[in-house]
Amino acid sequence: MLTLLEQLDKGTLWHSPGGIHPPGLKTTSNTQSIKRLPLAKEFIIPIPQVGDLATLTVKLNDHVLKGQMLTNGKGFTYLPVHAPTSGKIKAIEKRSSNHASGLPVLCCVIEPDGEETWTPLQADQASLLSNDAIINKIKDAGIAGMGGAAFPSHIKLNPASDINLVIINGVECEPFITSDDRLMREHANEIIDGVKIIHQLLKPQRIVIAIEDNKPQAVASMQKSIETLTLDDCKIRVTVIPTKYPSGGEKQLIQIITGNEVPSGAIPAQLGIVVHNVGTAYAIQDAVTNGKPLIERVVTLTGEQIGQPGNYWIPIGTPIKHALQHTAFQAQTQQKMIIGGPMMGYAIGELQVPILKGTNCILAPSNNEIGPDLPEQACIRCGECAVACPALLLPQQLFWHAKSEEFEKAASYHLQDCIECGCCSYVCPSDIPLVEYYRIAKSALKNVAHEKKQAEQAKLRFEARLKRLDDEKQAREAKSKAAADKRKQSMSSNDKDAVALAMARIAAKKKASAAEPGTESSTTANKKASVNAAIERAKAKKAAKAAQTDGPSVVIPSANTDTAVTDNTDVDPKKARVAAAVARAKAKKAAQANPQPEANLVSQSQISSVTATDSENTATPVIADSAEYAVVDPKKARIAAAVARAKAKKAAQANSPSSAQSTAEAVQIKTKQETTTETTDPLSSAVADNTQISEKTVIADSVDNAIVDPKKARIAAAVAKAKAKKLAQSQPKSHQPANQEVVSNDAVDNARVDTVQELSSSQPAIGTNEAPAMAELDDKKARIAAAVAKAKAKKLAQQQQKD
Amino acid sequence: MLSSILIAVAVLTAIALVFGILLGFASQKFKVEGNPIVDQAEALLPQTQCGQCGYPGCRPYAQAIANGDKINKCPPGGTATMEKLAELMGIDPQPLDEAVADNTKKVAYIREDECIGCTKCIQACPVDAILGAGKLMHTVITKDCTGCDLCVEPCPVDCIDMVEVKTDLSNWDWKLTHQPIQVLSAQQYEDKRC
Amino acid sequence: MAFKIASSPHINTRSLTSGVMFRVVLCLIPGIGAQTYFFGFGTLVQLALAISVALTAEALVMVLRKRPVMSTLSDNSALVTASLLAIAIPPLAPWWMIVIGVLFAIVIVKHLYGGLGHNVFNPAMAAYVLLLVSFPVQMTSWVAPQSLAINPADLNSSLQVIFSHSATMTSEYFQLGYDAVAMATPLDTIKTDLSMGLTATESLHKAIFSGSVGVGWFWVNICYLLGGLCLLKMKVIRWQISTAIIVSILICSGFGFLISPDTHVSPLVHIFSGGTMLAAFFIATDPVSAATSPRGRLIFGAMIGVLIYVIRTFGGYPDAVAFAVLLANMCAPFIDHYIRPRTYGHRSGNAL
Repeated sequence: MLTLLEQLDKGTLWHSPGGIHPPGLKTTSNTQSIKRLPLAKEFIIPIPQVGDLATLTVKLNDHVLKGQMLTNGKGFTYLPVHAPTSGKIKAIEKRSSNHASGLPVLCCVIEPDGEETWTPLQADQASLLSNDAIINKIKDAGIAGMGGAAFPSHIKLNPASDINLVIINGVECEPFITSDDRLMREHANEIIDGVKIIHQLLKPQRIVIAIEDNKPQAVASMQKSIETLTLDDCKIRVTVIPTKYPSGGEKQLIQIITGNEVPSGAIPAQLGIVVHNVGTAYAIQDAVTNGKPLIERVVTLTGEQIGQPGNYWIPIGTPIKHALQHTAFQAQTQQKMIIGGPMMGYAIGELQVPILKGTNCILAPSNNEIGPDLPEQACIRCGECAVACPALLLPQQLFWHAKSEEFEKAASYHLQDCIECGCCSYVCPSDIPLVEYYRIAKSALKNVAHEKKQAEQAKLRFEARLKRLDDEKQAREAKSKAAADKRKQSMSSNDKDAVALAMARIAAKKKASAAEPGTESSTTANKKASVNAAIERAKAKKAAKAAQTDGPSVVIPSANTDTAVTDNTDVDPKKARVAAAVARAKAKKAAQANPQPEANLVSQSQISSVTATDSENTATPVIADSAEYAVVDPKKARIAAAVARAKAKKAAQANSPSSAQSTAEAVQIKTKQETTTETTDPLSSAVADNTQISEKTVIADSVDNAIVDPKKARIAAAVAKAKAKKLAQSQPKSHQPANQEVVSNDAVDNARVDTVQELSSSQPAIGTNEAPAMAELDDKKARIAAAVAKAKAKKLAQQQQKD
Repeated sequence: MLSSILIAVAVLTAIALVFGILLGFASQKFKVEGNPIVDQAEALLPQTQCGQCGYPGCRPYAQAIANGDKINKCPPGGTATMEKLAELMGIDPQPLDEAVADNTKKVAYIREDECIGCTKCIQACPVDAILGAGKLMHTVITKDCTGCDLCVEPCPVDCIDMVEVKTDLSNWDWKLTHQPIQVLSAQQYEDKRC
Repeated sequence: MAFKIASSPHINTRSLTSGVMFRVVLCLIPGIGAQTYFFGFGTLVQLALAISVALTAEALVMVLRKRPVMSTLSDNSALVTASLLAIAIPPLAPWWMIVIGVLFAIVIVKHLYGGLGHNVFNPAMAAYVLLLVSFPVQMTSWVAPQSLAINPADLNSSLQVIFSHSATMTSEYFQLGYDAVAMATPLDTIKTDLSMGLTATESLHKAIFSGSVGVGWFWVNICYLLGGLCLLKMKVIRWQISTAIIVSILICSGFGFLISPDTHVSPLVHIFSGGTMLAAFFIATDPVSAATSPRGRLIFGAMIGVLIYVIRTFGGYPDAVAFAVLLANMCAPFIDHYIRPRTYGHRSGNAL
């Protein structure tokens, strides 16, 4: 009994089950040596998606050199990408991917300058470098498996376990493809240099270069270059294997060469075997000895529709369209454009996609070369697929379950061990696209597994959260208990004093906070004001909501006139101020005279007295600010603010007994400042007495602002839109609250009614009113205001639906 | 005559004894801890912890199902989950309460420049998937978001959207036939070729 | 600019279901020829009748099922079913029998189960069994070989017999008027003789056996064997089922013959008479209702072989192909479920 290593040396081959013998069709492209194409007009370099840790090192319009690294990253599987030529970064954007899905991915688009200036390269002699240095060089060169799967090579070269056997894969079993064939014929010595580096890294006992017997020249060429080669403690040989598809698959090749099977779900390294493609060996050599990153590869361009089929060195990132244009491609009807071979390659729908590291072939077949796609027929369970399957699966059973979407049952038939080689579809007399079914099933299984994992994660997080909340609660309880105990102890005599003290502290604090915005510089005041405004708005919204939910008694006489809106086009700032004062006074009077309707309104909004006073306190500075910005005098603004604050305070004191009154006051104060913009309107005073002025102000304001500033105009437009929206929503509502039915005059009026409702319940109007006023100073706030308006519109809509 | 009766009684007793021992042995040997139905039902639920079923989380709902509650109260799981539950419980499928328009997976997204930092959404999130602090901008940890929708309502400035999870290369479903296919004749191709 | 999208692989052997089915029919030709030579034109008439009824029935069903008619008809599966049934029933059976049989096979056994690829039972055999249990007299009255018949049936008289209207008249026709035309098959003869106390050897001396396994039957079976070998050569069928059937019959009957030669006929009689070869190469190998994995097929075939022998020897029916195939069909899903090939990577591999 020979040992496995001895059998390897004899070149014993094992049987690999299944497989097919499709026509090779390799002579189309393997008769000429590898050529080059002119440089493309742009290069598209997809940015690595793996690991999510990659960052771009270049910016738009940067100039990059050929071979320059474009990304930086840390992940284990991360591989950098490089500029394939020197030029300018023209764009960093999403482009169609060279993938069966064609989904867009983020790409770096390089416009070449035609100079082909290399970035400085670090040439080394491999034998003088440490293993780590070589691995790093290979990683930095961005070398991925060149056979199609594009798995990062440095991982395979740095395995956890000992490697006894390295198989260099020159099988190339797919029809049409000849890139490895040509590479072996023309660059055997370079490949062997790469093999030497692999040997240095892995120290295997045997290296087998496997080549199919339909490539005699490649075999001869490789044979010749290993004749003089001696490696320490390692025998190297070229093993010729019979032509059969898919012998070139990693698992199948291992089975043919060693008779071993890679266990399901494992990698060959666990058997002490590593398989590298000949192209990878070449790239490793180029990276280590010449320091060149992987920026070009041999691509087979073949098929009857390509006028000059052959193998070409093509820079990675070259659009496929460019390659086809320079090889006299002629499209036919129902043209298929296949990336890879006819068995495992995928069809692409778009030519403006780049050549990738794993793109070994571009196949543009004529319809007689590959035959038409026939419609799928019923499976007759002939079992030919099971005979052809190299993984010894039962494809018809997998199909049965995949088609009926019983993916778990398909998985129980080892769907995951399917290598998607396509043998089953190839032999199927019913033309069933079996592989497609398996891929769909596999991706569905993957997504299900992912979802399951996520659900588990969510559960854990949910439980962790519950625990955290519980812990916090307990901690709080313990703390309050401790505090209570403490209080009890010190409670003996002076507890009343303590309470009084605390109250005083709170009062002082409140006072300070109320005083703050006014005394601060205008910019900080702005900031504060905006925050307050946001809170205010939030409250307003809730109030509005509350008002709407039980709002049948909100009676609003629609006594407004449109003149108010149009009149205040040119406002003299001085007059405005004076008028403002007048208006304020009137408003005050009005408030005293008829708090009733106000109270009525506000009582609907159900704001507690505390919130009312609160809102007032916070609202006042805002109002003051905005009012004075309109007047454009910081000094006066301060004064006005002070006045407003004082009033607010007074109002608060006066209104403490009744919540309704307090809010009424608040509204009045706001009303006052709002009237500053409509002072020239004779009607305004009359309106000011009315509780509805605020609503009008909003409109006035928006119109006014529209004239002042295009920016404001935009905002105003947004506000108007929001209102319009609300209006639209309020119309279907008209069947319920009586008051709304009353106000059915016209669209504009209706809109106002709505606004009034909100205003009276203390204040989106501030948002809309204040935002435009401050627009020059703070555009952010305006956006917030707009958002609030939108939000309101949305919530309103929801509410109405619920109602 | 008597002996035959005795024999019959003896045989029956012996049989009863044997089966009794067998049953006792089986109940020891195949003992199941806890209520497996609850665990199984919970495993089927989507774990969004959204509370739309009226129970505070998925596990309580699973318990309720095991106790005979309806199986159609889980909108995030949709019809698929309901059917699996029906199979598990051995009952007829029940149509979902509300028509679940689309069962596409969504995650919350905070428009960050509109966020005012109120932390309300953070408190609402059942899986702690929102990151942020008071008065500072918040953001959603997308990979942990279950799409339960609970953070949308509390937001005072309504800056949270539920956005559909986009298909990318990692979760593409290989349904080639769903891609738009356009077939061009050679002439058209020549025309379009720039 | 968009190109055509399709899943890999992009090439195919271009072997088609219709081609597979057509080759099956082609390989039946030698057997049909032999059958016609020995038992008259009745077989051809039945064949023509069966095919036309089958195609019509299939087209009708496809219209009812709202599926494309032409593509289904052109898959030739109905052709195969009809041919198998036509050569399985007695050549001079009345016309309505084959019509009922074919309709049952196509409409009920095939399409009610979901059409091609979904039927659990072999349609031809299910129909054969239906006819056998419904019309035992007609189904067991085989034609005498031409060489033994006093009045060999020519085309005209065959047509006359097949298309005569009344059922009673037909049976009388067989039993009385044309007694010399109709007679039992060799297997039937043996069965009857054995039950009457004769030994197997004595029975084999009757004229119908002419010293070997039965006049005509031997050659008919040889022709089916040839056709079957052609199918194997063309890789339309795989060797497992056929081999398993023949080998298991040989083994069982060999045992029986060795133990008690008086009551058991020789293995040669078993494999070269009745429908053994037809079953082994054409009926049991119907992929739809057979087991699919190679090992599963061996078991499936062996099961049929054993059942054929058991029913022939101990059962009430002289030939048992149909019953054996149907019983094995029932077991096929079960076999498929338990006999799966060991998938790549699922054995305990040893490292280097």
